[in-house]
Amino acid sequence: MATRDSLIQVTDLKKHYHMGAIKALDGVTVDINRGDVMVVIGPSGSGKSTFLRSLNLLEEPTGGAIVFDGVDITRKKYKDQSGKMVKLDIDALRQKMGMVFQHFNLFPHKTILENMTLAPVKVKGMGRADAEKKALALLDRVGLQDRASAYPIQLSGGQKQRVAIVRALAMEPEVMLFDEPTSALDPEMVGEVLDVMKELAKEGMTMVVVTHEMGFAREVGNRVLFMADGMLLEQGSPKEIFENPKSPRLQDFLAKVL
Amino acid sequence: MDQFVQLDNFSKIAPYAQLFKQGMLVTILLSLFTVVIGFCIALVLALMRMSNIRPFRSLGLDENGHLRERGFLALVSRFNPLSFLATAYVEILRSTPVLVQIFIVYYGVFSLIKLPSFQMFGFIKFDRFFPGVVALGMNSGAYLCEIIRAGIQSIDGGQTEAARSLGLSQTQNLRYIILPQALKNILPAIANEFVVIIKESAITYTIGVQDIMSAVNAVKGATFVIVEPLLVATAVYFCLCFPTSKIIAYFERRMSHGDKR
Repeated sequence: MATRDSLIQVTDLKKHYHMGAIKALDGVTVDINRGDVMVVIGPSGSGKSTFLRSLNLLEEPTGGAIVFDGVDITRKKYKDQSGKMVKLDIDALRQKMGMVFQHFNLFPHKTILENMTLAPVKVKGMGRADAEKKALALLDRVGLQDRASAYPIQLSGGQKQRVAIVRALAMEPEVMLFDEPTSALDPEMVGEVLDVMKELAKEGMTMVVVTHEMGFAREVGNRVLFMADGMLLEQGSPKEIFENPKSPRLQDFLAKVL
Repeated sequence: MDQFVQLDNFSKIAPYAQLFKQGMLVTILLSLFTVVIGFCIALVLALMRMSNIRPFRSLGLDENGHLRERGFLALVSRFNPLSFLATAYVEILRSTPVLVQIFIVYYGVFSLIKLPSFQMFGFIKFDRFFPGVVALGMNSGAYLCEIIRAGIQSIDGGQTEAARSLGLSQTQNLRYIILPQALKNILPAIANEFVVIIKESAITYTIGVQDIMSAVNAVKGATFVIVEPLLVATAVYFCLCFPTSKIIAYFERRMSHGDKR
């Protein structure tokens, strides 16, 4: 069962399409603890992204449970402490989960600063001045303070992804979800984004990272999950996974990518 | 003798200049009201078509509160009556001639509903003008709805995902992220629709709206001159339509920051 510092408990998570003909996720069970840097690897089509996107309900699972902060978020309604049925507040939930996408998904019609202050101001009700101050401090951390008034199209891929990361951080999430954050980048820009993520991991941020960067998994991750065919085939420390893979699928996968 | 245009015919129709002025005013008013009504109808229709209101949604949940995957109940739970109605409206209005629609509104609907017969600005017959505006507005609403919907759906899904993952509600996402981008994308199509409305408003002379075409008709009846009034009408329509598309093109350029490096 859930340990004390467990943040998200995923139980038998399923995502079936077309009446069960396609099983993107077929029973994934895993605990995500506070401070974990959990790296999810696996061949394409293995359900890694679906798993990650299910965590903040960008995909609606068709079975199983995701308990976050003590609430099963896969249910549209749940009983609160007093036993009353309440509707799941999906927006409140998502504020606590930052997400970084493969294609950055910055808002092209807004400046970098506006990208970063929109949610804190409109969702959290933060004052504009406070939000801007905070955004600038965050931009400074990733070395982009001087681009605050630029539009996303004026930035390189690596810069966009760094902005996307701090945009999510501006909401002060409890966990950060990364969906192949470096896959759309030119090779020379991968490093700058991974550096920001390493920095974040060092600070103790809980992170779930879907990536093909095995170096990052090895170096930064404290737990590695290997997924194939919508199932969690193997999990363990980076050492266990990379140096002593047990399942033939994982051995095969590692032989191809390393 | 048998020239296409005879200059002295213009002097024959000159005394009727007042009719053309009034016709132009009516056409402008007609188009403006049509645009406003059409846009309001269109926005509501587009939101209805893309809404996610499913009154029987709870039937699609199993005893654990999960979404059902299959079966009749899952189908029923996905039925969205608002979207169905809006789709039906759009398809019917787009698949029938606007002339038929105007006649149905004027001879059908407004023969049941009695309109007050006063005159706006001292010459516009309200009981003709109003049905014309309603019919044209309903018609352009259907077209504008499809334009708005296409504009909204042209925005990359990643935008919504990013907005929602930051905690923005569906309404906030629409208001701050999707609509501003969609509006920019659809401005050329909207400009086109505005111009179409101005031109299409000519058809309302068939129910006695005193627009430019009805001025042409009146002059024709009084002077037996046809081509020259039509040329005047051509010039007036051009002077209305051409600047309209240019003005919107100006706004399009102004909104395009964020596109340029």
